[in-house]
Amino acid sequence: MKIMKIFNALRDGNGFESALVIAPVVYLVAFSAFPLIYNVVMSFQHVDMFSIATLNRPFVGLVNYIDVFSRPETPGVLWNTVIFVILSIVFQLSIGFALALFFQNDFPGASYLRGLFLAGWVMPALVVGAIWKWIFAGDFGVLNWVVRSLHIVNAPVFWISDPAVALYSIIIANIWLGIPFNMILLSVGLAGIPGDVYEAAALDGAGPFQRFRTITLPLMGSTLGAVIALGAIFTLQQFDLVAALTQGGPANASNVAQYWSWQLSFETYEISDGSVIATLMLTVVALVALIYVRSVQREQRL
Amino acid sequence: MKRYVFLLIAIVLAAIYLFPLYWMYVTALKSGSDIFRYPPAFWPAHPRLQLAQVFATYQVDRYVWNSFVVALGATFITVLLGTGAAYVLANVRHPIVTVALFAILMLQVLPPSLMVTPLFVAFNQLGLLEWPRFAVVLATAAKTLPFYIVLCRATFTQIPGELRDAALVDGNSRIGAFLHIVLPLARNGILVVSTLVFLQSFGEYVYSRSMIATKELQTATVGLSSFLGANSNDWVGLMTYASIYVTPILIVFVLLQRHIVSGLTAGALK
Repeated sequence: MKIMKIFNALRDGNGFESALVIAPVVYLVAFSAFPLIYNVVMSFQHVDMFSIATLNRPFVGLVNYIDVFSRPETPGVLWNTVIFVILSIVFQLSIGFALALFFQNDFPGASYLRGLFLAGWVMPALVVGAIWKWIFAGDFGVLNWVVRSLHIVNAPVFWISDPAVALYSIIIANIWLGIPFNMILLSVGLAGIPGDVYEAAALDGAGPFQRFRTITLPLMGSTLGAVIALGAIFTLQQFDLVAALTQGGPANASNVAQYWSWQLSFETYEISDGSVIATLMLTVVALVALIYVRSVQREQRL
Repeated sequence: MKRYVFLLIAIVLAAIYLFPLYWMYVTALKSGSDIFRYPPAFWPAHPRLQLAQVFATYQVDRYVWNSFVVALGATFITVLLGTGAAYVLANVRHPIVTVALFAILMLQVLPPSLMVTPLFVAFNQLGLLEWPRFAVVLATAAKTLPFYIVLCRATFTQIPGELRDAALVDGNSRIGAFLHIVLPLARNGILVVSTLVFLQSFGEYVYSRSMIATKELQTATVGLSSFLGANSNDWVGLMTYASIYVTPILIVFVLLQRHIVSGLTAGALK
């Protein structure tokens, strides 16, 4: 009798809806939320190759955190991460915005050609990294031929092996990867601005630049917020490009926190330290995500 | 006239942007000595594909098959668990739904390279690494599930609630209304979003790299990255490998381009 009742609720009551939501929630708690907490726990434990399989690991307080911040490579890697995120966002956003504005023009094939840019977005990032590594190649790479033909430099640039350049090579590839997504989201925002606002401004004698500054930018505010936050999130997720291009080298010159954390855990088996970096970075990502989610929810209410 | 000038500029911009893809295919068509020419040739003197050689040297088929298995598994779990949740989250107005949506949006952004350490340690303790591809499927699905729910929910919100209510009045059960009325209407949207999930997991790298130790079970991205280190002078071979791997992705993309653009934008900002 009771079983029938549960069955009926599942088939034709609130139980049905609850079950539909509970199944993925259980899954996400097991494979997303639990690892998140486990990560924090491990950052306070001593974990290495030998204790990895046991549950009985000594808690060591803040020792791992102190250890991470006393490592000589830490400031460099953190600074690289900041540069990586800021430069990626600035260029993805400005190039993406320029392209979105351009494709607002009415011409044959506009939406089709704009959609073609997303080919970069569907490519596996590791393959994109491999292609860029070949483009960046020192002696026979096509990029060196371009910059030398344009007389920007006289000698070949060693994009991958020069410690002063390696990080910027990853940034260039990451900008390439991020442009389509920025452009498409900004296009959606632009399409939401009613055309008669522009016409009225044009009648009042506002030039194109003035219209951009006084109409486009303010009305795009919440979209820009969401796009910048998403750009930061995707850049903080970027692992494959680093793996394909430089592996953080030479000598950590192009290493960023999300790659370094993985290296500590999986290459040198300093799992405690890897967890510390991961915990700190996840905090940063969560804060950025909060901005994104808030701006999305604000847009929904409007 | 002005419209055609714009068209011309747009073609040039797209060509510049897509140059890396062109360069991959052109390099794959070159011969070994062609690539060490300076200035580089933008079209090979004697275009030829060294498919047989690349299959023999790099076992592309095995690697791509493993990627396919992982992608299929992750997509299956994602669609199975996510579709119903997306439907409920689109239709039910309740404080708990708002909280769930918030949590899902937050889980969507967790970087795999930071989640892989705890997942690896936990899977190791549970003995799941005995089936490494299955372990990768479980981890990947946790990443794609929130993405799928968010995009799929956007599809369901476009279906008028009156249709479901009418079905309920006609004597359908809630399951019946969902399975027979709403799902068929949302079919196209679900297919597009599932395809996106498939493409995403088909290119997965971090989890496969960290959890699959056996070479025979490794995915195409892991294979390519190991060859990048070891054979990094055989660019013809590597670009042929890359072309074999991504051409199916690009074909699917071209076929579904219009739907992908609208599906993507609906979910990310709304």
